[in-house]
Amino acid sequence: MPAAAVAGARGGERPSSLFWRWLRLYLEFGRVGFVNALAYRLRYVTGIVTYFIYISVYYFIWKAIYEHSTSIEGFDFSHLLTYIGVGWIIRSFYFNNIDQELAYQVMEGRLAMDLIKPVNIQLMYVARAAGESIFRLVLLTAPTALVLFLVYPLRPPASVRHGGAFLVSVLLSFLIVAAINFVVGTFALRLQSILGLMRAKFFLLELLSGLLLPISFFPQVFQKIFALLPFEYISYVPMLIYLGKLDDSGLARAIALQFFWVAVLLAIGNALWSWSSRKVTIQGG
Amino acid sequence: MKRHLRLFLRYFAQYTKVRLAYKADFLIAFFSSMAATVLGFGFVLVLFSKIPRLQDWSFNEVMFLYGFSLIPLGFFNVVSWNLYDFGELYIIEGRFDRVLLRPVDTLFQVIFEKFRLESLQEVVTGLAVVTICLRRMHLALGVADYFWFALMVACGAVIYLAVFLILTAVSFWFEDRVGIVPPVFNMLNFGRYPLTIYNVFIQFLLSWIIPFGFASFYPTTHFLGRNTFAVYFHLVPVVAAGFSLLAIVVCNRGVVNYSSTGT
Repeated sequence: MPAAAVAGARGGERPSSLFWRWLRLYLEFGRVGFVNALAYRLRYVTGIVTYFIYISVYYFIWKAIYEHSTSIEGFDFSHLLTYIGVGWIIRSFYFNNIDQELAYQVMEGRLAMDLIKPVNIQLMYVARAAGESIFRLVLLTAPTALVLFLVYPLRPPASVRHGGAFLVSVLLSFLIVAAINFVVGTFALRLQSILGLMRAKFFLLELLSGLLLPISFFPQVFQKIFALLPFEYISYVPMLIYLGKLDDSGLARAIALQFFWVAVLLAIGNALWSWSSRKVTIQGG
Repeated sequence: MKRHLRLFLRYFAQYTKVRLAYKADFLIAFFSSMAATVLGFGFVLVLFSKIPRLQDWSFNEVMFLYGFSLIPLGFFNVVSWNLYDFGELYIIEGRFDRVLLRPVDTLFQVIFEKFRLESLQEVVTGLAVVTICLRRMHLALGVADYFWFALMVACGAVIYLAVFLILTAVSFWFEDRVGIVPPVFNMLNFGRYPLTIYNVFIQFLLSWIIPFGFASFYPTTHFLGRNTFAVYFHLVPVVAAGFSLLAIVVCNRGVVNYSSTGT
């Protein structure tokens, strides 16, 4: 239902009721994302096993790495194991496939269906991804966390305050990833295939988000460059908060910068969308 | 056989023309593929700036292993493109009907209908890294070693292909959109480290369940002069043959099981 557009056209309504209509509309997209994920719930059982294998493999890689040293860049083995383990746990929540979904829409000529909807496409995709993430939180993130905390000696958050800030930070990670994936997805409108682009993005995010190893392990020059990019705010920053490696002012600054990147990336995605969708070729349909 | 070879060349030429028709798209795909490869090295490079050795494996040895694994992987990537979307495009949308109607082996058609040309850069990059590492370690390959090297690359590519064919064939029974292919694809990475760093369970998993160890780690031990793995090294062709046989059987079973969507 194009509730927001209809309400906007009528014009005479109170802003608050307009807002609720708007919210209801995107909540509905969220619900669709949730229900879609429900259809493939079997996948999440294999997901738990997969995440467990990943983290087990990284456990051994890092154990071999720490054979020769007790502390690297201020991370002892226990901190690092928590960094990697909890980093993957939150990835099971913030991760989404918006870029791939957009690519499929274009490939299969269904994009027209998106274009005729009088809604903000970007928000629609983000809302759907949010619904899916909430679903994954229950069926993938929570069980994976339970198993991993039982099997491996992962540390709890540094303090209640750090734990709370960490949760906020992870929500912002979701938005950053969603915004980046939307940006990548918009290229599908102009390019024939974005498979290569998506693969490059995958490796870029793995490395530069700090999922594979803390950003502080990189040479100084790279650290300075990465500080100017949004990627380390996906995994590295939430994990620093979790481990209590940021003081109060650092914590506030980190979360403010996450907000900043969410806004900037959403704006870039929005601009790219309106630029790309002006000249669209619908394939067959 | 001769007919299939000719068909392969036709398929390849045809698809190359298709890809080169969209030059900008191909260039972007090529550069993103390049970027992905370079970023893949990032973890190892950053790590060794912090530690001298990984267990008793030196930087050059780990880089050699990583570089070598790129070569069979590159060949596999060139032909594996259709496998990713197989369930989606061929089963759910019923395109497999067309494949069945043609008087050519079904597996042959599915594998060679599309080529990811840009992945050939992985082969070149892998060869370059391997050469540099051999130089830095002052190791020289004998004449027989070149033969072994080529054989191991071929076996590695066959093992990758067999594993993913088996996984792909699963979509004949379960029409899941994403399935288990992406997680296993990520496990490719784990065969790029010395298997000795893992415990017995993961070593077993990477050797006998998903035999990526036989595609990358065991082949390299020979060239690095680590003779404790000689038995495994000589088993590589056997594992490759065994898994491809299994793949063919599973695929053929799957084809029999296929029921069209009616589109």
